[in-house]
Amino acid sequence: MAEIVLGTALAAIGAGLAVGMAGLGSGIGQGIAAAGSVGAVAEDEDMFARGIIFTALPETQAIYGFLIAILLMVFSGIMGAPKELAVTSGLAAIGAGAAVGFAGLGSGMGQGITASSAVGAVVENEDMFARGIIFTALSETQAIYGFLIAILLMVFGGIMGG
Amino acid sequence: MAEDITTLITGLGFPSVEAFIALLIIAIAVIALIAVISTIRPVLSMYPYTYPNARVRARKGRLFTDKQYTEILESQSLEEVKNYLRGIPDYTKYIDEFPLEKALDTQLAETYDLVARIAPDNSKDAFNFLLKKWDIRNIKSIIIAKEAGLDADETMNLLVPFGELSDKLNTLVDAENVTEVLNGLEGTDYAPILEDALPVYQETGILLPLEASLDKYLLENLLRTAATPEDDNTAYLHEYIGNIVDISNIKIILRAKADGLNFEDIEPYMISNGYQVREWKLKDLMESEDVAGVVNGLEGTDYAPMLSESLNDYQETGSIATFETALDHHVNETANRISLKNQFGIGPMIGYLNKKEKEIKNLKTIVRGKKEQDLSTSVIKEMLV
Repeated sequence: MAEIVLGTALAAIGAGLAVGMAGLGSGIGQGIAAAGSVGAVAEDEDMFARGIIFTALPETQAIYGFLIAILLMVFSGIMGAPKELAVTSGLAAIGAGAAVGFAGLGSGMGQGITASSAVGAVVENEDMFARGIIFTALSETQAIYGFLIAILLMVFGGIMGG
Repeated sequence: MAEDITTLITGLGFPSVEAFIALLIIAIAVIALIAVISTIRPVLSMYPYTYPNARVRARKGRLFTDKQYTEILESQSLEEVKNYLRGIPDYTKYIDEFPLEKALDTQLAETYDLVARIAPDNSKDAFNFLLKKWDIRNIKSIIIAKEAGLDADETMNLLVPFGELSDKLNTLVDAENVTEVLNGLEGTDYAPILEDALPVYQETGILLPLEASLDKYLLENLLRTAATPEDDNTAYLHEYIGNIVDISNIKIILRAKADGLNFEDIEPYMISNGYQVREWKLKDLMESEDVAGVVNGLEGTDYAPMLSESLNDYQETGSIATFETALDHHVNETANRISLKNQFGIGPMIGYLNKKEKEIKNLKTIVRGKKEQDLSTSVIKEMLV
C-alpha cells in the first residue's frame, strides 16, 4: 500500500464528511417521505408512482455528496494515479466535504418533511401534485449551493484542475 | 502560502501544523455532532406521525363534498340513498350487511378502530380508550331496547360490531331484562360503574342514571389518559378532549337550568373536572339561578363569547338548541385549528375524526329525513352541520 501524505488523508476526511453527512440527511428525509408514501399507498394504490417520485426527491443530496467524495478521492490520490496533495489543499478538501455534507443534511431532511406533507396533500387532493413537487423542490437549493461551493473549493483550492 | 499558514499556526501557540489539524478535526467533529443532534431531534418527533397522517389525509380526501351531499339529498327514497352509498368505497362493505343507520355507525367505528391501530405510541392510549365509546353505546342501546321490549333481532340492529364487548353482544342481547344485562357485564370495567347507578334505576325505573354513569366513565377517563401532556401532540389531544368534556358539562347544566333543576339534581351527572371549567367553576355554574347566570358564570373562558351571542336567541325562542349548536361549532373549530397548527403531529388525526363524525351525523340526518316522507330536501339540507 502506497504511503498517504497528510494532505491526502485530510482529503479522505473531506470525502467521508461529504458522503456521510449528505447521506444522513438524505436518508432521514427519504425515510420520512417513504413513511408518508406507504401510508398513502395503503389507502390508494394509484398513489404508488407519485409516492415513489416524492420519495426519490431527497435522494439527490446523497448523490451530490457521493459525487464530491469520488472527486476528492480521485484528485487527492486515494484512487487512480498516486498524488501527493498539499496540506493546504487537504484543508480545502475538508471544507468542500463539509460544504456539501452539511448542506445535504439540512436540505435532505427539509425536503423529506415537505415531500411527506406533499404526499398527504396529493392523496387528499390530486390537483396538488404539481404544486407539491414545486414546494418539495425548493429545499433542493441549499444542497445545490453546498455542491457548487464544494466544486469551487476543489478547483480553486488546488485539488482539481492543476 | 504554505509557509504563511505554518507561521500563523505556530504564532497561535501550536507546537506543529499536525497538532493544529488534529484540533481542527476534533472541532469539526464536535460541530457536526451538535448539528446532527439539534436538527435530528425535531425531525424524529415528526417521524411517527408521517404514516398515520398520510392515511388519514387520504381518507379525509374521500369525505363527502358539498356536491355529493346535494346528489344524495336528491334521492327520492331510502333505496336510492342506499344505492348511492353502495357506490362509495368506504361504505360499500357495510351497506348490504346491515340496516342503513347501523352501516353508517359501523363505518364510523371502523374509522376509530383504524386510527387507534395506526396512532403513534405516545397518543395510542387515548385513541384506544376512545374505542370504549362503542362498548358504551352498545350497552346503552341494549338496556334501552330491553326497557322498550324490543326482540333480539331488533336489538342487534342497534348494535355496532366493534369494541371489547363485541364477542359478548349476543349473550347480552339474550338477557331478559336490564338487571340481567348488568349481570352479564360482570368481570368487565363497566360492571362496577353500573352497580353504583343500579339502585336509582331499580327505585325509579329511569334509565338516565345508568346512561349518565357510562358517559361519565368514558369522558373522565379519556381526559385522564391525556391529562399529562408529554409534548405538543399530547397537549393538543388534551385540549381537544378537554373541550369535549367541558362542553358536555355545560350542555347538561344549561339543559338542567332551562328545566329549573337545582344543584343536587345536576351534580350526579357532572364530569368532576374539566379543561377550562374546573371543579370549583362547575360548582358555581350548577348553583346559578338560571341559564343567563350560567352564561355569565363562564366569563373568562373560551365558551363565553359564543354563549353570550346565543343568549338573545335563547331569550326569544326559549330553546337551548342555539347554545348547543354554538358549542358543537366550537368543538369543530377547535379540531380544525389543531389540524392546521399541528400538521406534522396529531392534528390531522383529530381533524379527520371530527370531520368523519360530522359526515356520519349528516348522513344519518339524511337517512332519517328520507324516512319521514313529508320532509322536503331543503328542510333536510338545513338540518345538516
